[in-house]
Amino acid sequence: MKKIFALILITVFATSINAQQSPGKDHSKLKISCKTCHTCDVPTKSEPCLVVCPREKMVTVYQKPEQTPELIVIDQMVDRYNPVYFSHRIHAQMSNMGGGCEGCHHFNTSGPILKCSSCHESSRKRDDVSIPDLKGAYHRQCMDCHREWSHDTGCNSCHTPKKDSKNNNKDNLQKKYAGKQHPVVLEPTKLVYETKSDKGKFVTFYHNDHTKKFGLSCTTCHKQESCTKCHDVNKTDKNKNQKVVTKKTFEDQHKNCISCHSKTENCNKCHNEKTLEPFDHGKKTGWALNKYHINLSCVKCHGSKLPYKKVDNKCSGCHKGWDSENFKHSVTGLQLDEMHSELSCEDCHMENNYAKKPSCDGCHDGYSFPKQKPGKLVGK
Amino acid sequence: MPGKSRRDFLKSSALIGAGVAGISTTAKAGPDNILSEDRMGVLVDTTVCVGCRNCEWACKDAHNLPAGNLESYEDRKVLDTKRRPDHTALTVVNEYASGKNSNLPVDVKVQCMHCDHPACVSACIVGAFSKHENGAVTWDTDMCIGCRYCMAACPFQIPAFEYEKALNPMIMKCDFCIDRTKEGKVPACVSICPVEALTYGTRTELVKIARDRIKRNPDRYVDHIFGEYEVGGTSWMYLANKEFTELDFPKLGEKPAPGVSESIQHGIFAYFVPPVSLYALLGGIMWISKRRKELDEEIK
Repeated sequence: MKKIFALILITVFATSINAQQSPGKDHSKLKISCKTCHTCDVPTKSEPCLVVCPREKMVTVYQKPEQTPELIVIDQMVDRYNPVYFSHRIHAQMSNMGGGCEGCHHFNTSGPILKCSSCHESSRKRDDVSIPDLKGAYHRQCMDCHREWSHDTGCNSCHTPKKDSKNNNKDNLQKKYAGKQHPVVLEPTKLVYETKSDKGKFVTFYHNDHTKKFGLSCTTCHKQESCTKCHDVNKTDKNKNQKVVTKKTFEDQHKNCISCHSKTENCNKCHNEKTLEPFDHGKKTGWALNKYHINLSCVKCHGSKLPYKKVDNKCSGCHKGWDSENFKHSVTGLQLDEMHSELSCEDCHMENNYAKKPSCDGCHDGYSFPKQKPGKLVGK
Repeated sequence: MPGKSRRDFLKSSALIGAGVAGISTTAKAGPDNILSEDRMGVLVDTTVCVGCRNCEWACKDAHNLPAGNLESYEDRKVLDTKRRPDHTALTVVNEYASGKNSNLPVDVKVQCMHCDHPACVSACIVGAFSKHENGAVTWDTDMCIGCRYCMAACPFQIPAFEYEKALNPMIMKCDFCIDRTKEGKVPACVSICPVEALTYGTRTELVKIARDRIKRNPDRYVDHIFGEYEVGGTSWMYLANKEFTELDFPKLGEKPAPGVSESIQHGIFAYFVPPVSLYALLGGIMWISKRRKELDEEIK
């Protein structure tokens, strides 16, 4: 009996390990070559011939940019050039909306950050040429962005020739990059897209509503942004409203919107013949948001499940704990005087309907709110 | 000549020629002009190329052509005009507007494609051109008579001619760095490329790699390996994110450029039989027409 029990335990344990490491069904269709993980041509379940380096599981050592090294020295080319001092921290910060750590540390194991050379061979003449060599791998990481925003492919923007060592002192550079941060990215208020749609030519997108009111983080939409979205030396006037022509497909164009606005929604909700007003809770629902509610994200009241659930206009719908015992009336901007604080809520708020004007008729003749007040205004 | 192509005509006339000369078509067969299973190639991934033009410099440097200093190649104004390889630059990089899913321009390196069935080898009347076992298509300067048939035959218009040289002008083109590869090195352009946009390997392996890249990144590439099948296959192959015709690649069929006549033609010209018989024939025609004219005049 003991033996059987042990056997079951072992099997359960073994399968759980297996499940943990499994890269998932259909992983052969992933955007990485089989050779990246398997050393043999035909990996089997019993002999998967896995290499130490990349696994399906991406970087889990997901450090904040502030925790990463500030400068990294790349000095494999010391015979021709001075070492390259790579300002890692600021690049890590900049990559936030451009793919994050995985943008460069691709296919990393769930362990520590691996060296590029653990997968990329240092010799150009080699047996397996399916992945780039070390020189190619390094330059591919840097040059696409650098040439995109400087339109320049000169070696000297990163490498300084041996003879010129004045400007390439590690201490100087460390000082230069110490605490340096990318300036806060300014956020547009409103973007108007001119589309070819016959259901309405213009799409008005209130960017600040989406971030502040609807509580979306930058990376919800901006996942693979390139630096040139903002930085382009060819752009003449930065302040001028510029028309940018995109070449995105229909699916790509709608991808970010559709994740919240369902596909079946009426096109006219976004597409219109003129630019639209920003979202106004008061106009849309008949319940204007006061200063307490205006800064809340939608999900706080309406739940995160889409479509948003309806919320009635009774305070107790959300504020469960509010009853006549412990409600502080002053949060409404009106502090009740001693007499009125003794009353129960429905004495003034008929049928507990707080959307309606309170009534004084229960006790007073000819009194009405707000002409006569049951206390003093304290400001919200 | 309806129903009869130029190729058929060449075939039949070459056969007649061979019959006349009585020469075995395999007389010149040696290690050259054969397709080895392990022949090498280069896969040019234009989505990776950054257009630094270091390959242009390295090529000149390796072939003892005036190269200038490497820094001067950083000038990107050169890319404003489309250039062709010539006798001063055996490879050039041209830049085109960006393709799908990219903000970056497309840079395309141009050089000899080193065809598997090279038209230049076929067209060369003295057999100076040969396809080597490692995939390279080269020519023997000492044998070259400067007829420039290779230039006319090349589907990619690659061989260049030193027109401005009065004495001993030579045909020039990329030789796949045959001197370097013999020493076990990779071609000069491949060696210098900072991003390894040029991958040097066996052609079979490169086709596999290229197919794999397209399969795994369908958003990045158009589904076409230029050179896999064009003119019967080439040693240099290309990947791109826009149609190849938009990158000034010629639209070519999958049939090899004429290759049947190659050894026959070489054999014939080696013994100068057809020229002699041709001149004899022409002389005969001339004599007959002259005679006819004389007869006509006599009648008048």
